[in-house]
Amino acid sequence: MKKSSLYGLLVFLCIGISACDQEYINPSSASEEQVLNNADAVIALANGLQFRYSVGRASNAYNTITASGLSARELTVLNAGNTSEDLIRQGANNVQGNNSVLTNIWAQSNLIKAHADLILANIDQIKEPGVRSGVLAHTSIMRALALGDLATYWEQAPIVVGEKATFSPRLEVLKNAVAQLEVAAAAVAANPPVASFTAKIISGIDYANTIQALIARYSMMAGDYTKSFNAASAVDLTKRSFFAHDDISRNAFFETSTSNRNVCEPINATSMGLPDTIKVNPADKRIAFFINSTPGTNLARASFFTANTSSLPIYRGGEILLLKAEALARQDKVEDAIVELDKVITKKASADAWGIGADLPPYSGERTKDAVLQEIYRQRCVELYLSGLKLEDNRRFGRPGPKDPKAERTRTFYPYPLSERDNNANTPADPAE
Amino acid sequence: MMKTCITNCEKSLWIVLLFVLPYASFSQVNYTIRGKVTSTTGELLIGATLNIGGTSQGTITDADGNYLLSGVLKAGDYTLITTYTGYAAKTQPITIDVSSSEQVVDLLLEEDAMNLDEVVVTGSTLRSTRRSLGNAINTIDVAQLEKTGTTNIVGALQGKIPGAQITQNSGDPYGGITIRLRGVKSILGSSDPLYIIDGVIISNSSANVSQTALSNQVGAASIGTNRLADINPNEIASINVINGAAAAAQYGSRAANGVVIINTKRGQLGKPKINFSTSVGVNELRKKLPIHTYGKQFGFAALRLHTISAVSDAQANANAGTTRVDIVRDGATTKLASNLVDVTRYDYQDLIYQQAMSYDNNLSMSGGTERTQYYLSLGYSNNEGIIKGTDFTRYNFRTRIDQRLTNWAKISAGLSYINSFANEKANGNVFYSPINSIAITNNTTDAAARDADGNLKAVEPTRVNPLSTIEDMEFSTSINRTVNDLQLNLSPLRNLTIDWVVGVDAYSQLGSGLIEAYPYQNVAGLPLERYPNGYASTTNNVVFQFNSDVNVTYDWKISQALNFKAIAGTNYQYFRSDFTRSSGEALAPFIQTVSGATTAVGTGYGLDRFSLSGEFIQGTLSYQNWIYLTGAVRRDRSSKFSEENTNQIYPKVSASFIPSDLTFWKNSAVKNAVSSLKLRFSWGEAGNLNGIGSYDRFWQFFPTPNLGRATLLPSGTLANPDVQPERMTETEGGIDISFFNDLLSVSATVYQQTINDLVVNRVLAPSTGGTSIVNSVGTMENRGLELATNLTVLKNKNFNWEIGVLFNRNRNEVTKLGSPSVGISNSAGAPVFLIEGQPASLFYGFPYARNADGSLLLTAQGLPQRERGTQTSITEFTPVRTGEQPSGAFVRAIIGDPNPDWTGSVSSSFSFKGLTLGFLLDAVQGVEVFNANKRTIENVGIGPLAEQELKGELPRGYIFSLVNIEEFRVDPGDFVKLREISLSYSFGKVASIFDNITLSLVGRNLYSWDNFSGQDPETNAGGNNDLLRGVDFGNVPIPRTYLVQLNVNF
Repeated sequence: MKKSSLYGLLVFLCIGISACDQEYINPSSASEEQVLNNADAVIALANGLQFRYSVGRASNAYNTITASGLSARELTVLNAGNTSEDLIRQGANNVQGNNSVLTNIWAQSNLIKAHADLILANIDQIKEPGVRSGVLAHTSIMRALALGDLATYWEQAPIVVGEKATFSPRLEVLKNAVAQLEVAAAAVAANPPVASFTAKIISGIDYANTIQALIARYSMMAGDYTKSFNAASAVDLTKRSFFAHDDISRNAFFETSTSNRNVCEPINATSMGLPDTIKVNPADKRIAFFINSTPGTNLARASFFTANTSSLPIYRGGEILLLKAEALARQDKVEDAIVELDKVITKKASADAWGIGADLPPYSGERTKDAVLQEIYRQRCVELYLSGLKLEDNRRFGRPGPKDPKAERTRTFYPYPLSERDNNANTPADPAE
Repeated sequence: MMKTCITNCEKSLWIVLLFVLPYASFSQVNYTIRGKVTSTTGELLIGATLNIGGTSQGTITDADGNYLLSGVLKAGDYTLITTYTGYAAKTQPITIDVSSSEQVVDLLLEEDAMNLDEVVVTGSTLRSTRRSLGNAINTIDVAQLEKTGTTNIVGALQGKIPGAQITQNSGDPYGGITIRLRGVKSILGSSDPLYIIDGVIISNSSANVSQTALSNQVGAASIGTNRLADINPNEIASINVINGAAAAAQYGSRAANGVVIINTKRGQLGKPKINFSTSVGVNELRKKLPIHTYGKQFGFAALRLHTISAVSDAQANANAGTTRVDIVRDGATTKLASNLVDVTRYDYQDLIYQQAMSYDNNLSMSGGTERTQYYLSLGYSNNEGIIKGTDFTRYNFRTRIDQRLTNWAKISAGLSYINSFANEKANGNVFYSPINSIAITNNTTDAAARDADGNLKAVEPTRVNPLSTIEDMEFSTSINRTVNDLQLNLSPLRNLTIDWVVGVDAYSQLGSGLIEAYPYQNVAGLPLERYPNGYASTTNNVVFQFNSDVNVTYDWKISQALNFKAIAGTNYQYFRSDFTRSSGEALAPFIQTVSGATTAVGTGYGLDRFSLSGEFIQGTLSYQNWIYLTGAVRRDRSSKFSEENTNQIYPKVSASFIPSDLTFWKNSAVKNAVSSLKLRFSWGEAGNLNGIGSYDRFWQFFPTPNLGRATLLPSGTLANPDVQPERMTETEGGIDISFFNDLLSVSATVYQQTINDLVVNRVLAPSTGGTSIVNSVGTMENRGLELATNLTVLKNKNFNWEIGVLFNRNRNEVTKLGSPSVGISNSAGAPVFLIEGQPASLFYGFPYARNADGSLLLTAQGLPQRERGTQTSITEFTPVRTGEQPSGAFVRAIIGDPNPDWTGSVSSSFSFKGLTLGFLLDAVQGVEVFNANKRTIENVGIGPLAEQELKGELPRGYIFSLVNIEEFRVDPGDFVKLREISLSYSFGKVASIFDNITLSLVGRNLYSWDNFSGQDPETNAGGNNDLLRGVDFGNVPIPRTYLVQLNVNF
C-alpha cells in the first residue's frame, strides 16, 4: 500500500462519518412562529392564558384568593409548614420578595400579559371577523385580569413587556387594562363571536358581559366612577361567566386548600372575616352559602370550592350592583346608592345567577355617604367572600391599615418579588407597609 | 437519518477493506513462537499479554504461564512485548524468517509498583501504556470489585478512585449512586461522567417511570435508579477512570465530566474454566430516626403540631384544662398551649423496617483456542431493602467471543442481556413515603389498628397511615436491556492498525405505580396531592443509544530512540428515547392498573433525540521510553446547538517524563531510594456539547389537556437559539513516585478547570415575558488535589500487608452566573441556591441571631431567634441591635455547604497464607447536610427537642422559635464509615476437581462515625440531581450489610 493512498484513506475516514448533521425538533411542542401564524393555534394559545390564570397552585386563581384572604383576614393558615402562606398571614416585614405566593402572582400575571400581547400583536393573522373578535375578547379579558391583579397587590407594575421594563403607577396599569377591554367590547359588538370560535375556546366566559363587568371593576379601582357605573349598568345579571374546571384542570383553590385541612381555612365559621365594628348579620343567608360547618371539613369547602370540577365565577352579580351603588355613593348620590345597595341586601338566592342571596331586610342605617359606603364595604366583604378582592376593598374603603392598632389588614401593598428586583434595575423601592 | 449515519460508518469500513485487502496478503512466512513467562521471583504469570509490536498478533499465557504464538507475518525484525499488571513491560527483539519459523522465547518480568507499562484503555479502541500518558488515569482491578458487599458497580468503587466523590443517595436497593469526578462541571447539563463498556457508550440516566404520582411534587430532584445499577460487577475485568478533560481527544464532547471505561472479562487460551460464586447476606437498619414515645403532649389530645400551634380562644374554651402562654417571635405574639395532657405514643418505625436478605449468584465459563476465545456468564442477584416490600432483582447474561479472522484481522463481539426489576416505595420527598409518613404524623394513634373489615384506620388527620405506604402502595420498574458491541481490529500493514467499534445500548424501562384508595379518607381528609381516591400509572421509556468509532493508528519508528505515534479517528453517537405515560385516579373496585381509572385520566408522550459527531487527530512523539509529548486537535458537532455554533475545535497537549528510566538513574544509588519517578502534565480544552437539553435552544409552546379544548402554553423558560456550548479548559500536573524498591508509592495530581460559556437557566425579571432563559452567561471553576499512596508494610512468602490512602479535595466556584442567585426547587424546603462567587448548591437562608462570641442571642423569653440587620451583599449582612436585641430586616446568609472540604479513604489488606483480612474506611469531611426531617419531627412534636420541651428541659416555645430559622436544619454531615471489611480463606486446590475454593465473610457500612442528628449523613433527597446535594428528607438510610460468600473455580 502506497503512503499516499494511506493518507487518502485517513482523510476519508475523518470526513466519512461526520456527514450526519440533522436538526431534531420536538414533535410534542410547537414554536412561536408556527403558533402565531395559525388561527387555531392562536385560539389554543388563548386557552393557554386561561389555563395559566386558573389552574394549579402557581395560578392567580389560587394565589390571589389566598394572598388577599390572608392579608385581609378572611383566611388563616392551618399548617405553618406552608411557609409563604403563613408569612403573608403574619404580614408586615414577614412578607418579603422571596415569598412564593407573591412571586407566583407576579410571574404568572406578567407572563399572561406578555403572551396576551403576543396574540394581540398578531391578531390580524385571523381573517374571520367572528373568530378574531372572540380571540380579541378572550385575550383582552385575561390580560385585564392579569394587569388588575398586579394593580391590586403592587403600587406599580410594568405595562410594556421587555428587558428592563419601566414601571407605571397602578392607576395607569388599570387604565391600560380598561382601554384594551374597550377595544374588545367594540369588536364583539361589531362582530359577535361565531361558532368556529366558540367550538374551540373553553366555554364558560360570557364575553360581552365580562368585558363590561371588568371595565366596571377596574374603573372603580382607578377612580373613574362614571365609567364604572355605565359599564356596570351594561352587565346582564342573569348571565354567568366563569372559569370551567374538571378533574384534570382543577379548581385551584379547592385542589390546594379546601379539599383538605392542611393549608388555609376561614379564620372562623361566623364572622366572614369582618371586624367586630362592622359585624355580619347572623341572619345573613350568605354565611351558609360560603361556610361549610361539617366537623372535620375545611370551612371554605362550600360556594365555588366544593370539588375539582367547581366553576369559579369571574365576577358575581352582587359585585356589579355594589359597584353601581359605590359609584353613586362616591358621587354623593346617596339615595340612588341605597336603591342599588338594597338590591344586594334583600336579594334572594333564587334571584341570583350563582345562588348567592343575603335575604335580609333593606338598609336601615344612616343615610349618609360615609355610612352607606361602610355598608357597601360590609356587603362586599360578604357577597364577594373569597373572590380575591378583599385586600383592594379594604384599602379603597380606607379601613385601618397595618400600623393601626385596629388593623384590618396585615399589608397594604406587597414588596416587589426578588425575581424582578434582582434582574430589573427599574424596580421601585418596596412600600413601607 | 439514523440509517444514513450507520451507512456512512459501513461505507467507511468497506473503503478500508477495499484499500487494504489487495496489499495485505503477500511476502509472508508462517511462524511459531512459544515459551514461558515468569516473574523474577519465579512466580508463573498467568494471563500475561504478549503482542508482536506493530501487528495485531498476540496471545495470553495459560494457567501454567505458557504461551504459544503462531501465524503469518512478513519476514523481518519485530519486538515481542509482554505485559502484566504490576510488572514492567518486557520488550524482546525477535526475527521472523523462514529459518527461524519455530522458536522458544522464555520471558522474565520485573515487578513495577507504579505500573508504568500497564496498557490502559484510554478510548474506545485506543490503548496506551501508563508511562506515555500526561494525565491521571486510575485503574480498578478485579480484586477491588470482589468482597465489597454490594452488587452495584458504582457502589463497589466507593473510596477507591482518587478525585471521585461517590455518594449513595439512598439506602433503597434501587436507589441511585452518584459519581462526581473533580466536582460539578455544568449547571444545566449533567456532571455525570461518560460510561463506556467495551467501547459501548452506555446510559446512566435515571428516568422515573414508576413513581409518576410524585413526579410533579419533588422539584428538581432526580429520583430513581441510575441505570448503571444494571451492570453486574462480576462481569468486570477492570475499570479505568480518567478524571479530567484529557480524555476528550478520544471521546470529545461527552467526556468533559471524565470517563469511566469498563472492560469486561474475556476468554483465555486453554481448557474451559468454570467459576461459580454465591453469597447470602443480611441488610439491616443501622440507626432509627430520633422519635420519642414520651406519653405527654401540649394542650389537648386533638391539638395538631402541639409544639408550635397557636391555640385560639375557642380551642382553649372547648378543651377544659388548656392553659396558654404568650410567646413572642419576630415581634408577633402567639398563644401556645402550656399544659400537658397524657397521650399514648406508638413506635411507628417498627412497622416499616425489616431485616432483609440478599443473594448473589454468578456462574461463568471461559476458555479458547489460539484463534477463538470465549467468555460466558450468568448472574442472578436479589437484594431486599430494609423498608418492607422493597427489593431489586437482576439477571445478567454476557457473552464475549474473540475470533482471529486472518493474521491481520480480528473480530470481537460482546453480547449481553439484562433483566432487572425493582419493587419500590414512594420516594422520601413526599409525605406518603414510609419514613416521611412517620416523620409528619403525631404518633398518638395505633397505626396498626384495623376496623372490622380488616382495613387500616386513620392516624392524625390529613396524614397517611405509615402502614398504608407498605401495604397499599406499589411502585415497580422493570428493565429489559441489551448492551452489545462489535469490534474489528485490522493491521493491514506493519505499524498500522485500524479499529472499528460499533456499540448499542438499548433498553425498555416499564414502570407501574399504584396507590390504593385509602379506606379512612372520610376521617383523614387527605389532600389531593396524596391521591385520596387512589392512583395508577403505567409508563414506558424506550431508550436507544448507538455509537460508532473508527480509529487509525500508525506507529512510526523514526530512529532507534525516536518514535512517533499518530492516531486519527471519528466518532458518531446517536440517542433516542421514547417516553410514554398514562395515569388516572379513582380506580374501579379491584382494578389495580390505569385501566380502572375513572377520573383525571391523562397521557403524554415525549421524544428526545440527539446526535453528536466528531473527529480528531493525535500525535505522540517519544524519545526512548523517557519522554512523551502528545498533541491533539478535535472537532465536534452536536444536534443540540445551532448550525452556527455547533462546530467546535478543541486542542490538547500533554507530556510525560520518566527520569527514573534514564540510564544514569538506573545505575546510581538513587534508584535504591527512589525506584521510579514520573512527571506528567496536560492542558486541554473540552466542550460539553451534551450540556443542554435537546430542545433547550428553542422557546417551546407546550400542549396541555384542558377541558377538551386544544391548549398551548408558551414555556416560561425562554431560549437563545444561538446558545453556545460550554467550553472547559483544564490544566493538570502530577507526579508518580515510588520509594525503596516500590515499597512506598505516591501519586499526586493537581488540576485547575475553568468552564466558560457555562449554560445557565438564568432567572429573568418576569416583566420580560419569561421567568428564565437558557443562555451561556456563566463561568465556573474547579481546582483540586488528588493524592494516592500505597505502602507495602510487609511482604514475604507467607505474609503480605498493604495499606492504601487516598485524599482528594476540590474547590468549586460559580464565578459568573448571570443572576445574583438561582434557586434550586425542591420539596424539602431546603434553601438551595447557586450564588455568584460561591461554590455550587449552597444552603442560603435565615441564620440564628448570634452574640459576638458566636453564642445564640436569645429573646427576652430566652428563645433563639432569626438574625436581623442590613443586608450589605447577597451573602453578607451587618447585624443591627436595638438595645440588646436584633432589629431591622431579616437577613440571609450562607448557612451550609454540601461540598466537602475533602474526601479520603484508608484501605488495608493483610494476608497470611490463604487467609486475607481487608478493610476500607471512607471519609467525607467538612460538609453540611440540610436535615429537613429535623424540623418536621419537632413541629409535629415527636422529635428529641420536643421531648425535652415536654419535660421542661427546654423552655416552652423553643421549637416554635426555630420554625423560621433555616440554620436550625443544617447539620454537620462529616462521616467516616467502615465501608468494607472482609475476612476470607482460600483453600487452594481441593481434590483434583477444584482449582480453588474461597470462603469469605464480608461486611459493608457496618459503622459510621458522625455527628449527624438524623439517620445517615450520606444521603441525597435530590437523588442524582447534580445541584441538589446533601438534603435529607424522608430518605431511606444506607443499611448495614453482612454476607457470606463462596467462590469455586474448576
